[in-house]
Amino acid sequence: MRTHIYNIVGLLAIFVVAITFSNVATAASPATTAKARWTAGVEAYAEGNYTAAVEAFEDVVDLGYATAEVYYNLGDAYFKLGQANTSHPFATGELGRSILNFSRALKLNPAMEDAAYNLDLARDYTNDTEPLPESFIKRMWHSLRDNMTSNGWAILSVVMLALTLLLVLVYLLASRIALRKTAFFVAIATALIFILSTALSLSQRTAQLSTERAVVVCNDTAPVHASPNSASKVVRQPSQGVIVDIVRGSDEWTEIAFADGEKGWIRNNTIERI
Amino acid sequence: MKHSTLLRFTLLLVAIFSTLTSWAQVSFTVAAPTPVAVGSPFRAEFSIDSEPDRGSFNAPAFEGFEVIAGPSVSTGHSVQWINGKQTSSYNCTYTFVLMPVEEGIFTIAPATISAGGKSYSTEPLKIEVIKEQGSSSSSSTGEKPSAEGSIGKDDVFIRLRLSDTDVYKGESIRASLVLYTRIDIANIESLEMPPFNDFWSQELSFDNAPSREEYNGRIYQTYKLAEYLLSPQRSGKLTIDPVKMEIIAQVVVQDSRSIDPIFGGRQIYNVPRSLSTAPTTIDVKEFPAGAPATFNGAVGSFTMKSTLPESSIMVNTAEQIEITISGSGNLKFITKPRLVMPESFEVYDAKVADNVKVSAAGTSGSITYTFPFVARSSGEFTIDPVAFTYFDPATAEYHTLATERFTLSVADDGTSVTSAPTVIGGGYGGQMKQLDRDIRYIATDAKLRNSRDMFILSPMYWLVVVVIVALFVVAYLVLRRRIVQNRNVVARRMKRADKVAVQRLRMAQRYMAEHNRHAFYEELLRAMWGYISDKFNIPVSNLTKETIREELYRRNVSAADAEQFCQIISRADEAQYAPSVEGDMGEVYGDAVDVISKIESVVKR
Repeated sequence: MRTHIYNIVGLLAIFVVAITFSNVATAASPATTAKARWTAGVEAYAEGNYTAAVEAFEDVVDLGYATAEVYYNLGDAYFKLGQANTSHPFATGELGRSILNFSRALKLNPAMEDAAYNLDLARDYTNDTEPLPESFIKRMWHSLRDNMTSNGWAILSVVMLALTLLLVLVYLLASRIALRKTAFFVAIATALIFILSTALSLSQRTAQLSTERAVVVCNDTAPVHASPNSASKVVRQPSQGVIVDIVRGSDEWTEIAFADGEKGWIRNNTIERI
Repeated sequence: MKHSTLLRFTLLLVAIFSTLTSWAQVSFTVAAPTPVAVGSPFRAEFSIDSEPDRGSFNAPAFEGFEVIAGPSVSTGHSVQWINGKQTSSYNCTYTFVLMPVEEGIFTIAPATISAGGKSYSTEPLKIEVIKEQGSSSSSSTGEKPSAEGSIGKDDVFIRLRLSDTDVYKGESIRASLVLYTRIDIANIESLEMPPFNDFWSQELSFDNAPSREEYNGRIYQTYKLAEYLLSPQRSGKLTIDPVKMEIIAQVVVQDSRSIDPIFGGRQIYNVPRSLSTAPTTIDVKEFPAGAPATFNGAVGSFTMKSTLPESSIMVNTAEQIEITISGSGNLKFITKPRLVMPESFEVYDAKVADNVKVSAAGTSGSITYTFPFVARSSGEFTIDPVAFTYFDPATAEYHTLATERFTLSVADDGTSVTSAPTVIGGGYGGQMKQLDRDIRYIATDAKLRNSRDMFILSPMYWLVVVVIVALFVVAYLVLRRRIVQNRNVVARRMKRADKVAVQRLRMAQRYMAEHNRHAFYEELLRAMWGYISDKFNIPVSNLTKETIREELYRRNVSAADAEQFCQIISRADEAQYAPSVEGDMGEVYGDAVDVISKIESVVKR
């Protein structure tokens, strides 16, 4: 009877191990490919072969390993590729793609200072308008939020939760009144930080998951119409790389809002969601 | 008498001086207008500024001209005294009236004359004789029926004469406004110059002597009214707007009704006239393609000279590079040549000194740029050539002038950039310059992972939260008993002082039973001092009765109790060494327990 149970347990163990290993085997393949393509991209960029660098980093993204660094490098590679065409820089939409990828990098990691710098520099080449000023509280909230990713805030919130509960225990157990007092007030502070970081993490998650912003990606400029048909008036002519908000969309047209609040309809194939 | 001889002597001296001065330079010239028209007489005048010898004048043969009158001689002599300085002039003129017979260029041969024994001759004078078109000399003879209609359209007009109408941008053109007239002008009412749009213009000083000129087959008296140097500032067909002018012409009309026998009955009328030039178009050519990068619009012909510092200089010493551009062309428009110095050099604003003259021939002169600099660190530096490019319109070519590349060795005198006391800019020895901006380099290493997993609200997150809360609950439950115990410990600790006192009192009670007075009081005192010491955390050595009273008062113990406490201590102190009845010990003991329990009940709260 007992040996029988052992056999079953042994079989189960082998089965579990086999499944785990097969999973590891299939999962290892794209990971190593992505790593190889990443290295190839970095080398190609260093040699100045920006076409190859763009292809390599695009492959990494397609494999599902799209981190902020990959998008950042892709943005750099597109920018340099566009600049390499000295007679007509950014002739085939490289500026738009560069800005798209810098924006995506910042969306994943808002604290990525290099990406913010490059995005700012690349946007000098566009005819983007000045954004409407945000309210003070919103600006404060965003600047606080963008110090860390959603995951960073989530980890902080979990740590703060643990710390709060630990301090509650200290409060309950401490024999010295000074220690109990300290534990009590620090616990209130950590509890507040826990609530704040949870809120920031959730807010950052919403921002990171939203696809409400888009970048104009076209060869030169794309017409923005007053209504979703090509016969209507062209209200604006944004250049590639202009960042817009998406208001609503249809099969062929998307209503967009510019940074200064102006709205219009643009063809779907001339914008890319960030 | 004496005075008269002196006067005479003076006059003699003056006479000698005047002859001396007149001998000094004798000029004998001929003057005649040119060109002249066939059939219209003109005057040829031979003049000498010294008294000629009598009968020594020999007129030339006027070939091609008919002598109508002459020679008529006129002499003039004037003596001037100005501020005691005497000048005298003498003039003798022989005038002929000549009539040109046929067109062509004729020469009035030299005439000869002798003065003071020396003979002089005039220069041969070329005179152009032309045949005037249309009604020849109708206006010059002066037979006019009416004042208004007498002035023909081409009797008086103005022209803007341009030295060139097909130029390069920046080249200079001389524009002169000339009044052509065959009639008398009484007055110039107004003269309005155009604004010369698209041109840089500079007014020139000019010689306003009238002259004669042939224009469209007719001879005019010409007067220069204005002269400008124009330099077109853009290419294309540039138009100079018409120049407008109002004049008053004087017309002499022979009145046919009342012919005055003496004065001829001529009347002079003033006729206002407005004149304007035709709009003038100038073709301004753009510079040919292939201009070097250093070309900045300098047009003309230039040379460049540079004065460089010694090839070896000291650190932190002011030096300068001087570049002089000289020549003719649009000097006023040339821009400063670019001097590129090593980064460790401080280069100051260049000093510009120009010595530019604007004349009818164009702008010429020189501009000197002085670039002061200070080398802030030692070493060998190569100074790149300073290049200046100009366009030569004559050959339609670009020429680049450059200084030679030279090496500058900067010697350290011990005051290098860090220790130099006079570093300008302060802070960290001057701000670093941002030369250019480019995107930052790519990230070279990254942890590749599937990026779409967000920790918050994920199962892992909830798991972690649940684990933390569970740990807390477990820890709380486990430690709860200890918490309760802990509370008792705290309560015990609060009674500890009382307890020690109780122990000591118990000890004292034992001594009392043994009738050991000394030990009893010693123990009682120890219990009381120790109680206060433990209770209020004051070392026994620091305790006096006064401090005890203060401490008890601060803790709201009633004054009576405090007084009793101190009294017991006094009594115990006294009784310790003094013989006393046994009953005292029991009384003191009872009071001590009583007062400590009273204080305890007050202080504990």
